[in-house]
Amino acid sequence: MRAFRLAAVLVISAVTAAVASQPVAKVQLPCDSLYQMLSPTGKQAVVACKDHRSYLVSIPDGASRPLLPAEPRVSALVYSKDGQWLAAGFPDGTVRVMPGQGTAAARQWKAGPHRIDTLYLFPDGKKLFVAPVDSPGTVWELTETPTLLATLPVAFGGMDAVAVSPDGELLVAAGDDTVLRWYDTATWQKMREYNGFLLETFVLTFTPDGKYLLAGGADSRITVLDPASGQQVRQLPPEAGSSVADIDFLGGPQRTLTLYFDNSGEKPPHALFWDLATDKSTPLKADSRPTCSGIVTGKLWLCNSDSRTLTILQQE
Amino acid sequence: MTYTRRELLERCAVFGAVTLATSIPLSSLAFAWDGAEKKRTPTPFCELGPFYKRQAPNTTMLRKPGDSGMPLALGGMVYDVRGEVVPDAKLEIWQTDNDGHYDIEGYRYRTVLEPGPKASYAIDTVMPGHYPTRVCQHVHYLVTAPGHKPLITQLYFATDPVFDGDPDKNYGRDPLITSRELIRPVMIKGDPKQITAAVNFDLVLEAL
Repeated sequence: MRAFRLAAVLVISAVTAAVASQPVAKVQLPCDSLYQMLSPTGKQAVVACKDHRSYLVSIPDGASRPLLPAEPRVSALVYSKDGQWLAAGFPDGTVRVMPGQGTAAARQWKAGPHRIDTLYLFPDGKKLFVAPVDSPGTVWELTETPTLLATLPVAFGGMDAVAVSPDGELLVAAGDDTVLRWYDTATWQKMREYNGFLLETFVLTFTPDGKYLLAGGADSRITVLDPASGQQVRQLPPEAGSSVADIDFLGGPQRTLTLYFDNSGEKPPHALFWDLATDKSTPLKADSRPTCSGIVTGKLWLCNSDSRTLTILQQE
Repeated sequence: MTYTRRELLERCAVFGAVTLATSIPLSSLAFAWDGAEKKRTPTPFCELGPFYKRQAPNTTMLRKPGDSGMPLALGGMVYDVRGEVVPDAKLEIWQTDNDGHYDIEGYRYRTVLEPGPKASYAIDTVMPGHYPTRVCQHVHYLVTAPGHKPLITQLYFATDPVFDGDPDKNYGRDPLITSRELIRPVMIKGDPKQITAAVNFDLVLEAL
């Protein structure tokens, strides 16, 4: 699924700018940058350089420090929800967990037999889900020497997406085999499966209140599931010819920003705001091509960069 | 299978062996040798891709009258690493049409095959087009069989213009191609008005 992961980065990179916006920060970049990744707190950004090195840049002061060298190239990168930690996966199955802020020691270990495609830091920041390509998913306790807590099998392939409920009691994972599997995070026993998809799921996310689980993927639409029963509640209208690549909530549980990529690979990616109370969508207006995006304290931030400057705007 | 002593000696000579240990019965040696000859390396893994779809129909004719693209006869066998055929394999095969589009809504150019005891498969399809975000033409495979690790792989074509006629040298142009082994020769047949392509792609499964 590496191709898709890279495509997803491009999707995020290609969110088009809304009309009304106000500036948040303008910082100098430490290199000629390909794209950036905003931290969930908006206090820093990972800057990916064209020479494949990466840096952490503080917002708004612009102070930067090296994060990862050019080699080995990172295959997956994710922030913890509080922005305190970053986890990176590599082609040889190694995982590195690094402090986003502060000077805590980084941890690095071989977490899988193959390239790491999917990483997820639990909301409590104490556990890490790791999904190598063509392998079962694993859950690690982030102690000084990380320990394997659970191995989550899949019929074939690897795992594309994972989400943990806001209360931390439930993990749902989406496999290449199109099956969603529910796990009790206290025992790591599988609780139930959802077999209603014929195509792969690329994103899973709980509503902030934990009442619903949203799944999106190659079937062009968001499916709303009841986390307690594992049953489908409803499906939002499809976005023809597109796959769902990402779903983020803007503040409360009602409004999402959903990113789509074109299945034919011919049209640029696009984004829709969905109102889950009415199941109506409105497009994010096309204006320019930002190089990163993020939801920070419920607001949509978009960035634009030239070769050495990053401008961040908050959308109204 | 048992070889005659003469055949064994001739074959040993080919591999540079000049003596045979007298304490080893010839039949044992022949058996071990036979096994070594049949031994196969597992087909390399290659990405599943984002457009796998469950429950494809069972059909060997993926190409329909009027479909554009060069007709392609694609077939092969399913083996284990000992070189024995795998009689109870299930193959799921999918690809783009000639224009490089996957059918997401339906099941065009998708099939599920159960080759049976002979472990051979054959389909009639077309040469896949170039999917815009991929470098090379390819056909996806998912092969499952009891007692074996599921195999996810892709077939590529030596005739793909991306290779400039030299897949040995240029297969790295597509970063998703994990092994040169996945690029297969293409036999072009027929008269100039009705050219067809044929490719053999054997699949080798690892035991669990």
